[in-house]
Amino acid sequence: MDFTLFQQLFVNGIITGTRYGALGVGFGLILGVTGRFHFAYSTTYVVTAYAAILAAEQGVPLVLALIIGLAVGAILGMLIEGIIYRPLQTSAPTLALLAIFISSLGIVIAGQNLIRLYAGSRSKILDTGFTVKGLSLGENTFTSLDVVMVISLWAVILGVWALIRFSEPGRMINAVRVNPEMARVVGVDSGRIYLAVFGIGSVVAGSVAILSAMKYAALPDMGQQPTFLAFVVAFLAGIGSGPLRTALTGLAVGMIESLSGLWLSSQWAPLVVFSLLFIYVAVKPFSLGTSFPARARRLLPLGAR
Amino acid sequence: MEYQIDIFNQMLIFAIFALSLNLLIGYGGQVSVAHAALGAAGGYTAAYLSVEYGVPYIPATLFAIGAGTLIGTAVSVPALRLSMDYLILLTLSLSTVLLTLIVSLKYFGGSYGLLGIGGVSVFGKDIVRPSDYLKILLPLLVVLFLACWRLGHSPFGRVLKGIREDEIATRSLGKDVFMYKVGLFAITSAMAGLGGAALVYYSQIASPSQFSFDVATTMIAMIIIGGMGNLWGSLLGVVLVVVSRPVLEKQVNASPEDASLYRLIIYGAALVVVMRLRPEGLIPESASLRAGVAWIRRLAGRLPAPPAPAAGSADATPPHIAAARVARARPGNGLVEDVSQLEAAVQVTGLVKHFGGIRAVDGLDFRLAAGRITGLVGPNGAGKTTVFNLITGAIRPDAGVVTLRGNNITNIPPHRVARRGMVRSFQDVRTLPRLSVLENVALAVPNQPGEHLGNLFFRPGSTARAGREAREKAIEALRFVGMESRLEYPAGALGYGEQKLVALARMLATGADVLLLDEPASGIDQSWLDPILEVILQTRDMGKTICIVEHNLHVVERLADWVYFMEAGIVTAQGTMRDLISQPRLAEVYFGNA
Repeated sequence: MDFTLFQQLFVNGIITGTRYGALGVGFGLILGVTGRFHFAYSTTYVVTAYAAILAAEQGVPLVLALIIGLAVGAILGMLIEGIIYRPLQTSAPTLALLAIFISSLGIVIAGQNLIRLYAGSRSKILDTGFTVKGLSLGENTFTSLDVVMVISLWAVILGVWALIRFSEPGRMINAVRVNPEMARVVGVDSGRIYLAVFGIGSVVAGSVAILSAMKYAALPDMGQQPTFLAFVVAFLAGIGSGPLRTALTGLAVGMIESLSGLWLSSQWAPLVVFSLLFIYVAVKPFSLGTSFPARARRLLPLGAR
Repeated sequence: MEYQIDIFNQMLIFAIFALSLNLLIGYGGQVSVAHAALGAAGGYTAAYLSVEYGVPYIPATLFAIGAGTLIGTAVSVPALRLSMDYLILLTLSLSTVLLTLIVSLKYFGGSYGLLGIGGVSVFGKDIVRPSDYLKILLPLLVVLFLACWRLGHSPFGRVLKGIREDEIATRSLGKDVFMYKVGLFAITSAMAGLGGAALVYYSQIASPSQFSFDVATTMIAMIIIGGMGNLWGSLLGVVLVVVSRPVLEKQVNASPEDASLYRLIIYGAALVVVMRLRPEGLIPESASLRAGVAWIRRLAGRLPAPPAPAAGSADATPPHIAAARVARARPGNGLVEDVSQLEAAVQVTGLVKHFGGIRAVDGLDFRLAAGRITGLVGPNGAGKTTVFNLITGAIRPDAGVVTLRGNNITNIPPHRVARRGMVRSFQDVRTLPRLSVLENVALAVPNQPGEHLGNLFFRPGSTARAGREAREKAIEALRFVGMESRLEYPAGALGYGEQKLVALARMLATGADVLLLDEPASGIDQSWLDPILEVILQTRDMGKTICIVEHNLHVVERLADWVYFMEAGIVTAQGTMRDLISQPRLAEVYFGNA
């Protein structure tokens, strides 16, 4: 084994894994608390990046542009929950999984093409506001932007963790996640909690989007790959897991994907992630939906009554 | 003219995808987003074989079908064992990964795709113009439509719809739900592979954009807008979606690029709006050709609309059950019978199930005397429903043996327990709401040849005959419970008491001779109690063995010939209901220290 290559892949693994972890934390929070199959995570992701870019293009100072981007993404996420998902859940609870998923497909496809229409199909780059320098540690190379990315995403992840762990709203979120019935009985307004969760999840996704728009570029369909990764990480961590566990799962997925480069050429990397997921699903014990807990029942397909 | 035919041909190709996707989502309730990706698997297989090895179009198409089937089935099998979110997750991942690989692997021409695909020729005549292709595509689609129709509207399709409505209920009636889902996925994946090959040959290129995520969503839009569970709806959806492009380009004067953006925005918005306002789509599942013609006639001639079936007839009068009640005595000439002298239909020995630290069932022994009603009573949380789950195989016991007529059935899956002759009902009835009452019961008839694909297509005569017999059996069962006047009503529109009777008829139609009834009298109106209890007694008199779990002790008193009292997962007493109630300790355990 080539030790230098291993080290470099290890460093890359930390960088991509952090990104995957953050993506998983945002989506996992939404799925775990609300049970919504929120595929339009992709839309809030793209919209955050584009809103920040458009604001920066208008001459808004960078920090403010980033805040605008995150706020737009969060509001969009909350609007999707409040205007689209919730009415579907109320009008046909038994069909909600299908209806919400199909609607979110619609949101993704409409959103992506609206952006193409107004912002063009060409890639846009978000200015970093500082000069990106190449750094090296021993023989490993990375950029100062990578360092900023890893630090700020872990800050976001730990922030979500601390919020849920220590703040009053966070404890309410946790109550709804663990036992929605009980939370309702003790007077937690689950509707507001859902909105809050969609807001927080969208901000986490938006942070990744902004950093990706700085490192690579923003494209109207830039949300698809991250959404796939977010789904994979959230499921691998286990639906309803806390932020730290999800983030570490993401880190592990990124690390495995990166280290697979020791044996495989990088074009096969998506297949590595898919294989992880496939094995995970394949070894899960058979359950057609017997003895589901109340929370999982909301995820059930047609006809579960 | 060729221009219009070209558009028509595109409709025909997309219809291949839409019909199969509708079978999968609309009939089977299995949501997959990998249909376009499976089309890519087929299309690229055909294109690659043609470009690299000069394989002619027929074998190349067969390989394409094989590739679609293989990938689709292999990927879906693990997910089909689990709840639906795993299927969405895996199909989503499959399409992301397949499309990424197609672009990144050098064999497939990157984002430009594969060019130089061989021509198609029939009887030595080269197929070049759209009007030539039409002569192949149109017959192909007619055949596929008929095949899909046959599948969807047969006993096989009825099981699929049962799975869509309620997997667990369908399984409890003896259907191997998992194998049906795998079969459905294989068939629809094969059609997607075929569609991919057709698309690639027709456009003479295989490129990633033909099978992109946009296309996958467009396919879903076709069946959602048209109407899930109705094949005509899918055709309408295809027409609307495909026609929208030339309409936008010509009428709105948009550039082709902008027009394609507008289209996708419209489809996306349409998905959201349809799901919210008209989830059944333009042509609902219940719509038939005959009803459509009648509707058009009414529109033209302003005939009065037919009376709509009353929904939610909770206040419907209970059926009159011919009561043999007057003459009925308890079996054994009114004397208290020693049921231990009777043959045991079911024998349960040392049954144990722990959930984590909770001992739900902790060494349970009991027997169901053949031809008698046995009651299982006990305070809340005594583990009664768990017992039903354990002995029907829905949950695996940690220890213990269950025998049915002397045969060990421990650890046998629920659908096979049902076929061996023991079926159960559910506390929350679990009728299949969007299927008619008749379909609900006909589904339960065992060993229907029409549930097997080979029979459907190769033995139509005997399949049709068996189908009529199944219908007769179902009607007979419904007549027995007094519900024969409700045959064509959707089960979900019935009142709760009526649904309980339909669920009972469904169990009778399975032909099983051991019936496990979970709370047969809970949640129903007082006026429904007598008919339901009467039907249960008459069922016993037919020679069936019955076990009831019930909270209402008066019901148990009236029905049960023998009663087991369960506390904390074990049987602590047995006897007639009267014996048990007279024991002060049991009354205290049951009613609490009031």
